[in-house]
Formats: sequence, structure tokens, C-alpha cells
Amino acid sequence: MKYLLLLTNHADHLAQWRAASDEENRRLRAQESPKWGEFFSWLEEKGIEADGLELDDPKLARTVRVRDGETLVTDGPYAETKEQVGGYFVVECKDLDDAIEVASRVPVARRAPVEIRPLVTQ
Amino acid sequence: MKYLALIYADEQAWDRLADGDRQAMYARYREFADSAAAKLAGGGELAPTRAATTVRVRGDDTLVADGPFAETKEALGGFFVFDCKSMDEAVALAATIPGAEHGAVEVRPAHTEGAE
Repeated sequence: MKYLLLLTNHADHLAQWRAASDEENRRLRAQESPKWGEFFSWLEEKGIEADGLELDDPKLARTVRVRDGETLVTDGPYAETKEQVGGYFVVECKDLDDAIEVASRVPVARRAPVEIRPLVTQ
Repeated sequence: MKYLALIYADEQAWDRLADGDRQAMYARYREFADSAAAKLAGGGELAPTRAATTVRVRGDDTLVADGPFAETKEALGGFFVFDCKSMDEAVALAATIPGAEHGAVEVRPAHTEGAE
């Protein structure tokens, strides 16, 4: 069964990153990097296939609607929520419990929620 | 450059669709996927938000809650990953996703190391 794991960022963290210099952000990323290494090693050990993407700042988002043949584009993400999607993984897991275990090991789960959504297979 | 297109739509309206209408919508999505094939790098349809689970870790505890992390008027129902040259190209492609006609598509650029 495939699951989409939506990783989120909290508005407070986004504000911190935006306020930090490039150098500070590089240092912070370097600090986080071993945790991600651990996570990816764990996935490999368990034989869990994961495919994903880290997203850029939600303020770079554009939201598109088409009404009566007209395309309406607005700046910013769809929802004005405290937490915004920051990345995703698609993982192949036996069941929801396994997907929960993967989600709980994603390093960012310590500071913002990870939403798990089963994929529909047709 | 990769872009994530998040498709938000009215879940209840989808649930209420007659089977024929639903098949017609799937056919339109297949058409989109065929015509956009050269620029698609992935995608999927999500089970309804009632099947969503949200996980948070606090200290040593894993907290598991039913439902999505945020309640929104329309719900995330699917996604595509685009491989496009620019945001403008990704936005133009997103406008051809059938869901853009009744819902909304959020287009998000991927983080690139070079941009730092």
C-alpha cells in the first residue's frame, strides 16, 4: 500500500528561517543533516522505498483556479494555516501502523505534524 | 526544476458524484496525464480525508490523531509532480488539471541547494 506523507513547517520556524542569514541557514541545515542521514539509513535497513521532495518557502507558492475558461492565479499557498506543507514522501508500507512508524521517524515530526494519506490505487 | 501541484477540491461533491460522472472525471485526468506526460514526474489520488492520520512527536511520545493537520474548506485530494523550466510553465500546466476548474491547485517549487 502506498502512502503520501505530508511534512509540514510551523509558521514560527518559517519566520526564523526567513530572518536568518544564508550562513546561519546553512549551519542549521548542516546540524539537521545527520538526523536525515539516520532516517534514510533506517528506511534502507527496513527495505522501505521512499520517494519525495523538499519544497521551497510557501510564500513562493501560486494558487491556480480556472473559472469559466479564465485562469485566476493568486500568490501564496491555498490555505492560510499556521502549518504549511514543506515536503512530502511517498512510501510503500504494509499498513497504516508501518506508515505511522515512518512518519514518527521523519526528523521534522518533532516540530510540526506529518499527515499520512493513503493513495488510491486503480 | 521540480514543482509540486497540490489539488484541493470539494470532497463531498466528489463523494456525491454518480459513477458515470466519476468515470468521466477519471477519463479527463487520464487525458491530462497523457498530454502532460513529458513534464510529469509523479502523482497520485488520495483517499478521502476521513482516512487521514496526523502524527506528531513530542519528546519520546508519538501522538496519533485522525484527520488532516488542517481543516480547510476544500480538501487535498491529489497531487502531481511537474518537471518544468519555470514557475510560469508550472502554473500554466496546473491550469490544465481538471480539478482547477472546480477547486484550486497550489503550485510549490522544490527546494534547490543551489539557491542557498
